[in-house]
Amino acid sequence: MLYTELLAIAVFLITYALIIDERIHRAVAAMAGAAVIIFTQIVPWDKIPEYLDLGTIFLLMGMMIIVNTARKSGLFEYIAIRTAKMANGSPVKVLILFSIVTAVVSAFLDNVTTVLLLTPMLLYIAKLMELNPVPFLLSEIFASNIGGAATLIGDPPNIMIASASGLTFNDFLMTMGPIVLVDMVIMLGMLYLIYGKGLRVQPEERQKIVQTINALDERAAILDRSLFNKSVATILLVVFLFFIHSSLGLEPAIIALTGAAIILFWSRVQPDEILEKIEWPALFFFGGLFIIVGALVETGLISQVAGFVVAHVHTTGEAMILIAWFAAFASAIVDNIPLTATLIPLINDMGTSMDVGPLWWALSLGACLGGNGTAIGASANVVVIGIAEREGINISFVDFLKIGLVVLVVSVAIGLGILWLRYIW
Amino acid sequence: MGYFTSLIQRKFKDVAGTRYDTVMREYREFLLTEEERKIPEVRSILMPLDYFVKEIPPALYETLSSYEGATVSLVYIIDLEVIRIVEDSLNADTMAEFKRKREAFGDEILQKATADLEKAGLSVKSRMFSGRKFDNIQEIAESHDMIAVSKKYAASMTDVAPVSPVTMRLAQTVTKPIIIY
Repeated sequence: MLYTELLAIAVFLITYALIIDERIHRAVAAMAGAAVIIFTQIVPWDKIPEYLDLGTIFLLMGMMIIVNTARKSGLFEYIAIRTAKMANGSPVKVLILFSIVTAVVSAFLDNVTTVLLLTPMLLYIAKLMELNPVPFLLSEIFASNIGGAATLIGDPPNIMIASASGLTFNDFLMTMGPIVLVDMVIMLGMLYLIYGKGLRVQPEERQKIVQTINALDERAAILDRSLFNKSVATILLVVFLFFIHSSLGLEPAIIALTGAAIILFWSRVQPDEILEKIEWPALFFFGGLFIIVGALVETGLISQVAGFVVAHVHTTGEAMILIAWFAAFASAIVDNIPLTATLIPLINDMGTSMDVGPLWWALSLGACLGGNGTAIGASANVVVIGIAEREGINISFVDFLKIGLVVLVVSVAIGLGILWLRYIW
Repeated sequence: MGYFTSLIQRKFKDVAGTRYDTVMREYREFLLTEEERKIPEVRSILMPLDYFVKEIPPALYETLSSYEGATVSLVYIIDLEVIRIVEDSLNADTMAEFKRKREAFGDEILQKATADLEKAGLSVKSRMFSGRKFDNIQEIAESHDMIAVSKKYAASMTDVAPVSPVTMRLAQTVTKPIIIY
């Protein structure tokens, strides 16, 4: 028994170290770890389906198919141009509107795709206005991470939490939605306080900017009108079905896969073209992690840690604070997916001694918003900063840390306050 | 610190990969480049007129009005070659009548164009003389920033030649931006 426990811990720690180190692709690290676990039969073959969270994997797969098909229509570029026009040449409006659009799109689609498609437009506008693009890029990063926390499908930790806890799309929206709303306002206010003075253009310059942006034709961004219409219709249908999935008795993954099937069938886009764009490494990464964490559950290690936590943390309120802050600071440094995968069985085990309902929200809050803390805290951060660097705009690790940590602490504290008032007070 | 730095570099290495390149390619299809965004400075516009340019479309005035502060030089040229042929074949009275009618037509179109251009907020200078249409316009164009010329300039329209030969030659040889209406 001791041998299997030690091996499970060793595999978990080595895999974690490899994921952080990044010399080996995280998917390969997770698969290799899972292979050791299965080979040594720490998790028996017939128990694999129990640990492999197909709800999470299929939900991610379905959404990837929908997003990649919709992308081909030019939908996101269309949204970017419309947003730019709505700003009417005002830098502050650009900051606010792009943040709102980023948050809303991130709440329903994956964060990396959202920032990848909106960043070029933001850089273009900043260049046009001859303004420092950094506040716009930072607001996009923060909005993407905050917005992703609002819904069940907004961020992988939420998908995993929902799959493990049975919480519905509406549960997430009703609990995390208000927190996200308040955090967004506070985040934008903070950025305005810091960068507001530099967000100004002369009236005559503004006129020229408006003329140039108005000259952009959003219809030219639509590469395929028919696919555009079908994409919008499918996304709206999928979002509607997410709202009522619990009433229908359907898992969120079923909704996503159904949406994927509808858009592929309806649009007649070549499936191999779309299926090869699915982020298979990410899905294998998830699969491997589930097995590695499953080994910790199987050997009883998670129960022991849960017992230790319960012995030292006496109330749900204390546990909520501990989980939110631990998840937030840990997510700022390491990937929030393995972190969430590890904390989920721990919270499940704590359920025998306390009400864990609020703890799921604390985990969601910490894991999603923790990504704002550092430049490497979330994929969206790395993508935006990387793009900025390619365009000659340098956002250093320390520069990001200075503002990112403040945003992390303030947004998690506010979220925790709201959760406290709602569940503990 | 060395390990930490290389860790950060690994994180950012080829961050968005080919996906960003694809996105940028798609954006370039409809975003104006810096060069495309630069509006050429236009302070003087040359507008050649003659007997064949019977009317000027209102859309042209609208286009020219976007060059705020520019001066339009209306130049009406009566073809020297035509005058020479007419002088050779007609008597002095008929010749005088011919010149008077051509000049009256020129005055009329110059006045109308001047009024319409001024209404569009542009300042206008006009003159009328006898000369060689292509050579004179090519020479005068050197001191202007832009030319707006009719496709009927110096010739009547035919089905086989939708743009007059003089207008075509101006478009090919003059180095200034040209609007053909």
